[in-house]
Amino acid sequence: MSTLIIKNLHAKVDDNEILTGVNLEIDTGETHAIMGPNGTGKSTLASVVMGHPKYDVTEGEILLDGKNVLDMSVDERSRAGLFLGMQHPAEVPGVTNSDFIKTAMNTRLEEGKTISLFNFIRQYDKAVEELKMSEDLPHRYLNEGFSGGEKKRNEILQMKMLKPRIAILDEIDSGLDVDALKVVGDNVTKMQTDDIGLLLITHYQRLLDYIKADKVHVMMKGRIVKSGNIDIIKRIDTEGYDWIKEEVGIEDERVIVEDEEDQAVLGTCATKEALDIK
Amino acid sequence: MIKYNKPVLSNDTIFDKINTLSSKLSNVLIIKDGHILYKNLEDEYNDIYIKSYDEAMTDKADFFDQTKELYELDDDAYQYNLENVNSGLFIHVPKNKVVAEQLHIFYIQESVDLVQNTTIILDESSELKYFEYLYNEGQASINYVNNSFVKENAKLEYSGLSLFNKKAVINVTRNSSVARYGTSSIRIAEVNDSITETKTNVYLQGKYAYAEAKTIAITSGVQSAKFRQLIEHQAPETEGYIENYGVSNHESALEFEGVGKINKFMKHSIARQSNNGIVLGKKAQLDANPLLLIDEFDVEASHGAAIGKIDEEQLYYLMSRGLSTRDAERLIISGFLSPVLEVLSSDELKEDFKNQVQNKTL
Ligand SMILES: Nc1ncnc2c1ncn2[C@@H]1O[C@H](COP(=O)(O)OP(=O)(O)OP(=O)(O)O)[C@@H](O)[C@H]1O
Ligand SMILES: [Mg+2]
Repeated sequence: MSTLIIKNLHAKVDDNEILTGVNLEIDTGETHAIMGPNGTGKSTLASVVMGHPKYDVTEGEILLDGKNVLDMSVDERSRAGLFLGMQHPAEVPGVTNSDFIKTAMNTRLEEGKTISLFNFIRQYDKAVEELKMSEDLPHRYLNEGFSGGEKKRNEILQMKMLKPRIAILDEIDSGLDVDALKVVGDNVTKMQTDDIGLLLITHYQRLLDYIKADKVHVMMKGRIVKSGNIDIIKRIDTEGYDWIKEEVGIEDERVIVEDEEDQAVLGTCATKEALDIK
Repeated sequence: MIKYNKPVLSNDTIFDKINTLSSKLSNVLIIKDGHILYKNLEDEYNDIYIKSYDEAMTDKADFFDQTKELYELDDDAYQYNLENVNSGLFIHVPKNKVVAEQLHIFYIQESVDLVQNTTIILDESSELKYFEYLYNEGQASINYVNNSFVKENAKLEYSGLSLFNKKAVINVTRNSSVARYGTSSIRIAEVNDSITETKTNVYLQGKYAYAEAKTIAITSGVQSAKFRQLIEHQAPETEGYIENYGVSNHESALEFEGVGKINKFMKHSIARQSNNGIVLGKKAQLDANPLLLIDEFDVEASHGAAIGKIDEEQLYYLMSRGLSTRDAERLIISGFLSPVLEVLSSDELKEDFKNQVQNKTL
C-alpha cells in the first residue's frame, strides 16, 4: 500500500500565495474527487504535487510513503509513482507519441535496460484500442494538433502505460462529449484497483457517475474547505456552491480577486503587444 | 584559368561507416580525396554526365569559361577554390530528362586538404534529386564550392548532410542560378563539430523562378558556425523562401544570416524567411540576423524569428513522465530538428543524423 500525505501546503507563484494550507491524504485503493469553482487553486495543487518549476512551496509537506516529495525533482516524482493527467498538456512537435512513452517506460527499468519493442507495441496497441483512439496515434507528434478530447485520452493512455501508484487527473472530463466521457470513464474505472490511489479534479457530477469516488473535497481560496462523501456533489449539482461559502464564511471563493474591468483593459493591451512582431 | 591539382591517393579503402550507409542506398558515388572510388548508378542515369572535375575540364571545356563569368563572387574563399581546386564532380542532366531516383554522393576526406568544386547543370525541363554526404576523417581545411545552373522549367532538389569532425575547418559556398519557371530547393542538415562557414546564394534570374533554402544546424562544444543564405530576385514574379532551425549547445556560437533581396522592377516577387532556434547551453549563443533588401514597392516580404531557451512547459511535461532533464531536452531537440528527416532518404541516414545530434546534446 502507498499513501500520499499533503500537510498544510502553502505555495505561491510570483508574489501571490495560491495555496493557503491544503491538507489531504490519499491511500492506494481509494478514489478522491476535488471540486470547486474556477480559480480556487485546484490545478495549482496538482502542479505543486508534481513539481512544476513555476510554483514555490513556502510551507508544509508532501510525503509519499514517508518520503519527502518536495525534495524530489519532477522526474523523480514520476518514477516514485506519481502521475498527473494535466488540464493543459504541452504540445511537443517532432516527438512522436510512441517514442515519448517508450522513453518514459524505459526510465522505470534498470539503467541500460530497455523494454522489448514487441512488448511495447502490444501494450500500446491495446491501450489505443481500449481508448478508441485512432491507429495512427503512435506516429503522430505528441499532442500536436490534437483536439481537446484527444489530449485527454492521450493522458489516460500514458497513465495506463506507466501504471502509477498515485494519479491526479485534472479535469479529465472537460471538453469530452458523452461517448468520449464514457470511454474515459470505463478506462479509469478499470484501473481502480488496490494498487492505485486516484485524485479526480472536476467541475461536473457526470464524471462521478462513471467513476465512483469514495471521498469528495471542495476547494476554495486555495485550500480544502469541506470534505465528505458523494452527497456533497449532488447538492453542488443542484444548488451550486453558495451554501458551502455560507457555511465556511467566504464571500469570494477565488484565490486572486481581480478587478474585472482592469483585467479586460490589460487583456487587450497584452494582445496588441503580442501581435506586434518585430 | 582554372588550375587543377589532383592529390595523391594514400589508399583506396572506404571507411566502414560509409560502406554501411551507402550499401543501403541506390545510385551512389563515393569520392575520397579527389578520387572517385565507387560508382553504382541505375539505368536511368545512363544518359547523365557524372564525372570527376578534372575529366570534365577537357570534356566540357566550353562550359568552364562561362562558369567563371556566371558567378563572379567577390569572395576570397570562392576565388581560392577556383584557383586551387583538387577534387569535385561535374553533373549534367540533359534537356527533358526527369530522374526519379535520388543521387547520393559521398564526399570523403582522409589525408589531404580539399579544395572541392562540383558543378550541376540541369538543362531545360529536366529534374534531379541530388543528395550529398560530407565527411572528413583527418585533419583538414576543406573548401567546397557547388555551382548549380537550373535552366528553364528545370527542378533541382538539393539536400545534404554535413558531418565534419573537429579536425576540420570548413568553408562551403553553394551558388544556384534559376531560370524561368525553374526551381531550386536546397536543404542542408549541418551537424558538424568543425568550425564552419557556409554561404548559399540563389539567383532567381527568370520570371516565376522559385527557390527554397533551408538549414538545420546544431552546434556544440566551443564550435562556431555561420550560415548565410541569400536569395536574390533578379526577375519579377519570383519566389524565395529561407527557413532556418538551429540549436546551440555548450559554449558554441551559431549564426544565421538570411538575406532576401528584391531588385528594382522585380514586381510581384515574394521573399519570406523564418528563423527558429533553441539555445541549450548556458554559455551558448544563437543569433539570427534576417535581412530584407527591397528595392521594389509591389512585393510581398516578411521575416520572423523565434529564438529562445527550451520550452519550460514541454520540459516539465516530459519530466512528469519520468524523463531526466537531459533525456527530456534531447527528445525535444530531436523533435525540433525533425524537419530534416524528410530530406534523408534512408533509415540509416536518419539514424546517423540522430546519433550525431545525441552526441552533440550530451
Ligand atoms: N503560473 C501561474 N502564474 C500566475 N498565476 C497563476 C499561475 N497558476 C495559477 N495562477 C493563479 O492562481 C489561481 C488559481 O489557479 P488554478 O489554475 O489553480 O485554479 P483552478 O481551481 O484549477 O481553476 P479552473 O477550475 O478554472 O481550472 C488563479 O487566480 C490563477 O490565475
Ligand atoms: Mg484547473
